[in-house]
Amino acid sequence: MPLSLNYLVKRLLWSVSVLVGVVVFSYLVIILSPGDPAVKWAGNPRGPGATKAVEEARRELGLDLPLYLQVLNFLRMVFTGDLGLSIAYRQPVFAVLSRNLTATLELLAFAYLIGAPLGSLLGVLAALRRGARLDGFLQTLGLALASTPTFWLGMAIFAALLPSGFAPYGRVSTGLALATGFQAVTGFYLIDAILQLNPSVFLDVLARLIPPALAVAAYPLGVCLRISRALVADALLEEYVRAAVAWGVKRRAVVWSYAFRAALPGLVQVAGIAFAYSLVDAMVVEYVFGREGLGRLLFDAITLSDFKLAIGLLVLVATFYLVVNTLADIAQALIDPRVKL
Amino acid sequence: MNALEKRINSAAGLLELAKRAWRRSARLQAGALLVGFMAAIAVLGPYLAPYPSDGMGVVPLNAADRAGKPPCPEFPFGTDSLGRDVLSRVLMGARLALAQILLVVSLSLALGLLVGVYAAYYRGPVEAVLNYASEVFLAIPAIVIALALRLVLGQGLHVVVASLVLSWWPWYARTSYVYARAVAEMEYVLLARLAGVPDRVVVFRHVVRNVLPLVLVQAITDLGSVLLEASAINFLGLGLPPDAPDWGIIVQNGFKYIASMPWISMFPGLFILVTALGFSLVGDSLREEVDPKMRRRWKLWF
Repeated sequence: MPLSLNYLVKRLLWSVSVLVGVVVFSYLVIILSPGDPAVKWAGNPRGPGATKAVEEARRELGLDLPLYLQVLNFLRMVFTGDLGLSIAYRQPVFAVLSRNLTATLELLAFAYLIGAPLGSLLGVLAALRRGARLDGFLQTLGLALASTPTFWLGMAIFAALLPSGFAPYGRVSTGLALATGFQAVTGFYLIDAILQLNPSVFLDVLARLIPPALAVAAYPLGVCLRISRALVADALLEEYVRAAVAWGVKRRAVVWSYAFRAALPGLVQVAGIAFAYSLVDAMVVEYVFGREGLGRLLFDAITLSDFKLAIGLLVLVATFYLVVNTLADIAQALIDPRVKL
Repeated sequence: MNALEKRINSAAGLLELAKRAWRRSARLQAGALLVGFMAAIAVLGPYLAPYPSDGMGVVPLNAADRAGKPPCPEFPFGTDSLGRDVLSRVLMGARLALAQILLVVSLSLALGLLVGVYAAYYRGPVEAVLNYASEVFLAIPAIVIALALRLVLGQGLHVVVASLVLSWWPWYARTSYVYARAVAEMEYVLLARLAGVPDRVVVFRHVVRNVLPLVLVQAITDLGSVLLEASAINFLGLGLPPDAPDWGIIVQNGFKYIASMPWISMFPGLFILVTALGFSLVGDSLREEVDPKMRRRWKLWF
């Protein structure tokens, strides 16, 4: 089905305007807060030169301008990809963020590749046995998985693996990576290992990726199970399913090509929102498993009071949410024959 | 708004709904049991806790002898690295957890309801602005707001509550907006306006009262989700100070000792899971009762 340009442009403009709102909000949080960022930037100076140092910092940060100009300045910086220097890393915030984003995305994508299909499958199973014992069990399982604190699940998985002698800490064994000459090119280590035809590093990366991914996968598994159960059960009551059965269409075809197909657009949209929100979950799990990535940045931002990194993270996470949501909406429109664009 | 939703448009209707769901749904009973258990330890926690001062984060005098004990009759959940009784800390934490989630959900419900109802009632530019604001806050997860607030305001309960309220109110704004639009188009609302009843009175007497019960069902489920997010914020050290008996913080206390003393983290995490599950079960069965199409026991007929 042709996706109309009009819809696409409208959807994109809306997302960009929401992003502007997010950026303005994050700037105001930092500026209107009780603590003075200029004092922090100057390094909390004391003594006779303090006032002068703070004044200089204020000018350097552009805080002496009227508020609306500051906000406009900051917007211009964000949209040109310039978020200033990170205090913790002494590098451009943008570079620090983009270097760590791939690590988190690898974990998140892998987790959803496990969680979303498995959850949807179990949901269909439950819908086919609505009201039966299996349905009740699966629904409760879905609720329990979605109610599990991810960081705690990650720690439990970590602790459970310890007796086996394998600690899935970090992303790759440094010794192994050095010995085999492994280079991070794309930042997705699984893909890098395949590109460099390096099976031992691939297996090591995979072994370290699966435990945290299982912790992150609990939520999408639970959510997809519940949503797919509800949508498929609804679709099974539709007239066209009844008609298909009357025509003698095979049961498998009725379930998958009729009922599940009808549930798919809704499922994609919910999974998209869940995916966007799970970025934060993945960050927390990364911290638990000592992996590099956005989770470590979050922690560095707290321990080193790096408010520039914090604003960067805020803008990045919100942008990710908006991008994923826009893509999910477009995907839903593409696969849903009922949406007239 | 369909006929089913209309039935629970009043507090009495909500009660009726709960009664019917109670008779029918074992899951509601299980959920209510879990929530009741949680509420009981929240109220009785300080009296049940064998070592109340440990619970509040005070390090005992004989810390060296008590540190790192695995679960035993004297310390059913073991002791942490500073010798504090984990059971006492978990029991004292129930009160804190309940306070946090009730505060967050009631504040965001109030804010979201007002925004949603006013947007639906006034339409036009007010609607556009309010919808835009809720869209902006939907895009920012609570944890990153908490990070920013932690840096500028320091640690404390205010960070947890403010960040969660800022990220949760849009959900209520959206839900109540959808319901309120249906209500605002009804004849009795129009008649009230034509009769010259002031807008404020129409909104509160006719619209809010009819939307609230529907949003409340949603809020019950959310209590569990808010608990999960609040404990994640506290686990990361963004919210309450490290001595507070919050469940997320107790899990954090055991983080470094996960290999040698796993009990410190496992027990409080289990309480988070069970409580969140309880709220989800209750909210979910109530919602199922609103939509009885999904409830019927039903065999595939082909």
